[in-house]
Amino acid sequence: MKKTLVVAEMALREVSRRRGVLVLLALLPLAFYYSRRGEAYWQSVRFVSLGIGWTLSTAALFAGNAARGIEPRLRLSGYATHQLYLGRLVALWTLGLALAVPYFLLIRFDLDDVRYDAIALILALTVAVAPPLGLAVAAVLPRELEGMLVLLTVVAMQMMLNPDKAAAHALPFWFTREIGVYAVESGAGPDHVVRGSIHAAIALAVFLTLVAIAATLRLRRRPHVSIA
Amino acid sequence: MTVDDWLAALAAELRRRRVDPAGPVGEAAAHLRDSGRPPLLAFGPPVAYAAAIVDSLRGATLELRRPPSGEVRLRATKITKRYGRSTVLDGVDLSVRAGEVVALIGANGSGKSTMLRICAGLLSPDSGRVELSGTVGYCPQDGGTADFLTADEHFMLVGAGRGSSRAAARAQGRAAAAALDWPGAERAGEARHLSGGTRQKLNLVLGQLGDPDVLLLDEPYQGFDNGTYLDFWQQVWRLRDAGKAIVVVTHRLSELERADTVLDLTPGGPR
Amino acid sequence: MERRAQWLRGVLDLCVLGALARGESYGYEIAQRLEHGGLGTIAGGTLYPALLRLERLGLLATDWRAGSGGPPRKYYRLSDEGAATLRSAGTDWAAFVGNVNTFLEVP
Repeated sequence: MKKTLVVAEMALREVSRRRGVLVLLALLPLAFYYSRRGEAYWQSVRFVSLGIGWTLSTAALFAGNAARGIEPRLRLSGYATHQLYLGRLVALWTLGLALAVPYFLLIRFDLDDVRYDAIALILALTVAVAPPLGLAVAAVLPRELEGMLVLLTVVAMQMMLNPDKAAAHALPFWFTREIGVYAVESGAGPDHVVRGSIHAAIALAVFLTLVAIAATLRLRRRPHVSIA
Repeated sequence: MTVDDWLAALAAELRRRRVDPAGPVGEAAAHLRDSGRPPLLAFGPPVAYAAAIVDSLRGATLELRRPPSGEVRLRATKITKRYGRSTVLDGVDLSVRAGEVVALIGANGSGKSTMLRICAGLLSPDSGRVELSGTVGYCPQDGGTADFLTADEHFMLVGAGRGSSRAAARAQGRAAAAALDWPGAERAGEARHLSGGTRQKLNLVLGQLGDPDVLLLDEPYQGFDNGTYLDFWQQVWRLRDAGKAIVVVTHRLSELERADTVLDLTPGGPR
Repeated sequence: MERRAQWLRGVLDLCVLGALARGESYGYEIAQRLEHGGLGTIAGGTLYPALLRLERLGLLATDWRAGSGGPPRKYYRLSDEGAATLRSAGTDWAAFVGNVNTFLEVP
């Protein structure tokens, strides 16, 4: 537990030094929010959560790639593989929460006629899913440019695809739209929340598994070595 | 080079090594006066002679190789590695005892780094076994550091893996850095702002953290100035005397006399 | 010449001890004794580190003396351990050389 927290602390310190990432994290969702703030205000909720999902997963992408150089050494120094990726995830989730709280407050005081508890759920689930997504992309695509393009594509498709299409269900943040229906439409039933939450849980499980498998494979104890 | 210039250079080099120059310089001056020979002929370049003096004072010798006597800490047997059609390593054997320094040499592409990574357990060979006795520290040729963390943070991160407390890890890291002529490590900024040579010092210090029994160093002296390079070998000998088993990959053949054993990976050569 | 240099590397320390068995001396004079004994010119860069090593190992005792009309010189003499080492090394050496001579069929 202690070792995982050390990894988390250092990952947070690393991110805090990347000014560009922090500025993007803070302001990009804001830009997304205000892009829809006019007539179609109910889309603001969905867009701001997509903005948070995108920048948080991008931060995770950078963190995952940056860690690649030092992880073999950390393994040799005595860390277990799960301590390394869990520590990084804890750091990114903490960052995500620190980001989500002000945005929740913004929505709380800026928008009326919306269900705040549902919005809190959307933000919480987005913060939960984004870091594993980013780390999974980093594990599969070792170069940052390709990884960023993938995340960009995901977000763009998220915005453009009609959510009723089957393909849209495969996108990682589909649940933001689904639960969003319940949040902004007074007539909507809670079954949207159920469906959305299940989708988020599945997305979370899929990406966490990807991260765990990739890390375990890359950093496994090789069979040709025996330690006396 | 005039005698005075030579003597001044010798004094400066000795002072740089924290050795009082009075004795050696006085003797050298007297010898040059008595023999009448030019200093470069009688003693060689001042830096090399200073290094020889320092070695004699500190217990490691340039000329005498000590036969290693400790237990075997690393034994690699019949390591074979192929990349596509080319065989990089073909049945290589390597064994290192406690208190021994092995130099791993060979031409570019002869598989030195690959061999080291296999011994560290970071890469799988196509066949062969590696037996390790004790903890392992590894220093890659480059990398192995985090751009956005400071030196102290690196020490704490790597030290925590070995179970060191923060204070202990920091102290150990700073001491190892000072031994490589980097006394201000705790004040250094993020790793990405360090010069190449300094960053390599960080790399090397991290490999040693936690006192591993086996040290695998892959040409860790890239970017070191000549003085630090000699400090590095002093450090290696000190670790050797402390009972560590050390493998140093190097392509600088003049180092052959600095190791206890040499393994040449050039294909077709003796093993 | 290469071979001879290697042989000398192995025994230089002992020859220095032997040279001092006749009495204490300083650096350049020791080099002279070795050269006159047939070992060739010993470079200062080789001799002084060897003297320092022997001193550090406790086989030589040293002191600085004011030179006659010049700066001080460092004088070396055998310590008790140095004398003992020289004796035992001498015996080992004789045995070693005897065996080598047999292989080389030296009459």
